[in-house]
Amino acid sequence: MLAYIIRRTLYVIPVVIGVALVTFILFNVVGWDAATQMLGRHASKEEIAALRQQLGLTGPKFFNFTAALQGPWWRLFDSQWFHYMKQLATLDFGRSFASNQKISTLMLNGIVPSLVLAVPIFLITLVVSITIAMLAAYYRDTWIDRSIVVASVIGLSVSYLVYIMVAQQVLAYQSGWFPIWGFESAKYLILPVLVGVVSGLGSEVRFFRTVMLDEMYQDYVRTAFAKGCTQNTVLFKHVLKNAMIPVLTSVVLTIPFLYTGNLLLETFFGIPGLGYLNVEAVNSTDYPVIKATVFVGSVLYVIATVITDICYAMVDPRIKLR
Amino acid sequence: MPRVALPTFIILLVCAATAGPARATLMPSGQQPFFGTTDRIRGFDPVQASDVYTVAAISKVYEGLYEFEYLVRPYRVRPLLAESMPEISADRLTYTIHVKKGVRFADDPCFPGGKGRELTAEDFIYSWKRLADTHNRSPRYFNFEGRIVGLDEFRDKSVQQKVDYDKPIEGLRVLDRYTLQILLKAPYPQLTYVLTQAETFAVPREAAEFYGAEFLNHPVGTGPFIVADWRWHNYRIEYVRNPKYHGDTYPTQGEPGDRERGLLVDAGKPLPLLDRVTEYVIADDSTAWLKFLAGDLAMSPISRDNFGAVVTQERELTPELRARGIRLDVALQMATFYVGFNMEDPVVGPNKKLRQALACAVDLKKWVKFYNDRLLPAKGILPPNVEGYDSNAPPAYAFDLERAKRLLTEAGYPDGRDPKTGRRLTLNFDLPQANDPQERQSTDLLAHFFDAIGIELKPSYNNWPEFLKKLERKQCQMYRLGWIVPYPDAINFFDLFYGPNESPGPNESNYKNPEFDKLFEIARVMDDAPERTERFRQMEAIVVRDCPFIFLSHPLSYRLMQPWFKNYKYHDCPYPNSKFYKVDPARMNH
Repeated sequence: MLAYIIRRTLYVIPVVIGVALVTFILFNVVGWDAATQMLGRHASKEEIAALRQQLGLTGPKFFNFTAALQGPWWRLFDSQWFHYMKQLATLDFGRSFASNQKISTLMLNGIVPSLVLAVPIFLITLVVSITIAMLAAYYRDTWIDRSIVVASVIGLSVSYLVYIMVAQQVLAYQSGWFPIWGFESAKYLILPVLVGVVSGLGSEVRFFRTVMLDEMYQDYVRTAFAKGCTQNTVLFKHVLKNAMIPVLTSVVLTIPFLYTGNLLLETFFGIPGLGYLNVEAVNSTDYPVIKATVFVGSVLYVIATVITDICYAMVDPRIKLR
Repeated sequence: MPRVALPTFIILLVCAATAGPARATLMPSGQQPFFGTTDRIRGFDPVQASDVYTVAAISKVYEGLYEFEYLVRPYRVRPLLAESMPEISADRLTYTIHVKKGVRFADDPCFPGGKGRELTAEDFIYSWKRLADTHNRSPRYFNFEGRIVGLDEFRDKSVQQKVDYDKPIEGLRVLDRYTLQILLKAPYPQLTYVLTQAETFAVPREAAEFYGAEFLNHPVGTGPFIVADWRWHNYRIEYVRNPKYHGDTYPTQGEPGDRERGLLVDAGKPLPLLDRVTEYVIADDSTAWLKFLAGDLAMSPISRDNFGAVVTQERELTPELRARGIRLDVALQMATFYVGFNMEDPVVGPNKKLRQALACAVDLKKWVKFYNDRLLPAKGILPPNVEGYDSNAPPAYAFDLERAKRLLTEAGYPDGRDPKTGRRLTLNFDLPQANDPQERQSTDLLAHFFDAIGIELKPSYNNWPEFLKKLERKQCQMYRLGWIVPYPDAINFFDLFYGPNESPGPNESNYKNPEFDKLFEIARVMDDAPERTERFRQMEAIVVRDCPFIFLSHPLSYRLMQPWFKNYKYHDCPYPNSKFYKVDPARMNH
């Protein structure tokens, strides 16, 4: 197991370098001109050229052969790519163009608001949807099951924006039960969490119900019933445990996205998290922020896939680690 | 998993059960709080003050030598941190300015003992050197560029090396502790206006050096407010009254009608009138609108989607909003929106008749209707509230399809077809907003106008940096932009046509006309006088004749205000005006 974890972790390194290379090419090679964006419409050619020089954008992209030939060999690495790699290694992503703030600070400040919104939504949705899915599976082919399926389909068909707007209009503005918008105290989180849970239930219930029903028709379930096990024992002791593999895949791969935040909920409810930061970065073409969040998000996703692989082996002994 | 989820759910339920009315928590007792909206700002460093929200934030904390009168129209400059208006030498090259005595910076750890020291003339000289220093990457140096003796040389040196701020600059002199002198290379009558702008505000050297790169997060000014909370950059900025504010008072003069509108009730009272200003970054218009209706915000613009539900055909508020005491303020903004032609483009550049034909094809009545009548149709570059505007001049390119078709034939494109290829003439049109539905719809309308004379418009939606890059490289054939001026001088508008200002300067259409340039060079050094106004009219006539732009509109500001919000008057340079605002907290709670 330990050898597998080490090997799997080492695989992450080339993937992360690949992600860094892709983001570098996207943003530094074919991307935009930082100096023009920073200085705006009034800047003269000379000012733009001076800023490009100060930002290190005039040097070679990948390798500095000229400098290496003229000076010590290690100046070969005096290039934009290696400067970028150094920034990543020190978690220094530079400054945002839109807000002028350090990107690492913006990301650190955004993590807590994102998590206080995303974690309750994630956990509540998980528990409630598994419970409803098990209920549907328990009462399969009855009116309860059919009602749950119909409600789920309706739920997942409704746009996220509709949930948000109806909630703000009816539950916040008209009834005054919740604040319309803001991040002042815990009560400001209730409505966005509620919207997040309700809007996510439809698809989750459908998914977990399918997983449960797949398991319900397995041979070992019939055997368990034949041996005289009660329905509750079969459902909770055998089916739930064996249904954990697809559940685990879904859950673990969702975790990195908790970090990136919920774009719509944060934007509409004024939660100053990373989702909102990303939306604002895209809207204001704040490339340094987009580059940093794409990189960090990708790295977290790669890590999550490794964790998923390891969890598979722990949950299902049939899976061999090679 | 349920072990974690259940307590979380219970906590949320408890919170829900104990939640009181939303607004109650926002209301500090016994204070005059103001709740408004802002946007993400670029920090509190005046040299970075390039967008309206950043300027508005900085102007609450920092101040300059001069500011515009709040109520008087036409706009007039008054001393703020200066003792009086500048003493100008006979050759108009030397400005001597006396700084007010006894003005103190807010307390901050950057000062010995944490006590803010007195403002001196040296603070302004230091601040302007910071503006010129390229290491501070200011996008606002253009107002000083080529103007002050020795300052450009200081700036050029800063490109290559770290500059010495202690080394004197010939054109920026400190005569004594409270007196400074500016030596100009040529007369610059707009200098007093420039000294009202945020990038010229005084910053203490101690703070800039103590905080270094983080100075933008640690404002230390002489302004009416100090920053109390800015933890969440994307969410809220909270200011409180500066207890050391230097005793500026509410204006005692206004224009006719201001007294009747209650705008002079607080005349002579010490500023600021508010104790606390809280501004939120609300990204979504519909959410901001709900918050305004709920009474959480003091004022609100009206989005295009809401306009029909808020304002009647008679340009009045709907009875429901009037019954709530909400007021509507409508004012003309000092700005012009236009379609520009790249005069270096081989198709539209040399063909004046083609440009004129396109201008005649635009139905400005329909255009204004599309924007819910929130625009005035433009006849030229100058809006009606700027000196030089000729109200009697008829529009040169009134909507006339027959004339447009005639001009198009004379331009060599009969029925909009290129005789060489037999195909319809297709023009490329660049726009700066890739994701604005209103921009896309209005572009469809423009395409419809041009289609009526047989010309096809091919829009290209860019993001802002891409758009700037295209303009800089002169790659646009046609483009759409607006020009909002920072101070009320017509010369600002004519900057857009001055030959040496070509891309990447503000003359993005790369228009060049020696006759215009000559008039511009004369007018820009003239003091405000009828002769100057006449020059402006001549310049505008040249530009309208040559048609490097299709002049579209001047925007109208529509703003709604809560009944408890007082002393608001639209201002084209609105940034420091929150110090004049007042609220009635007792009415807010209802």
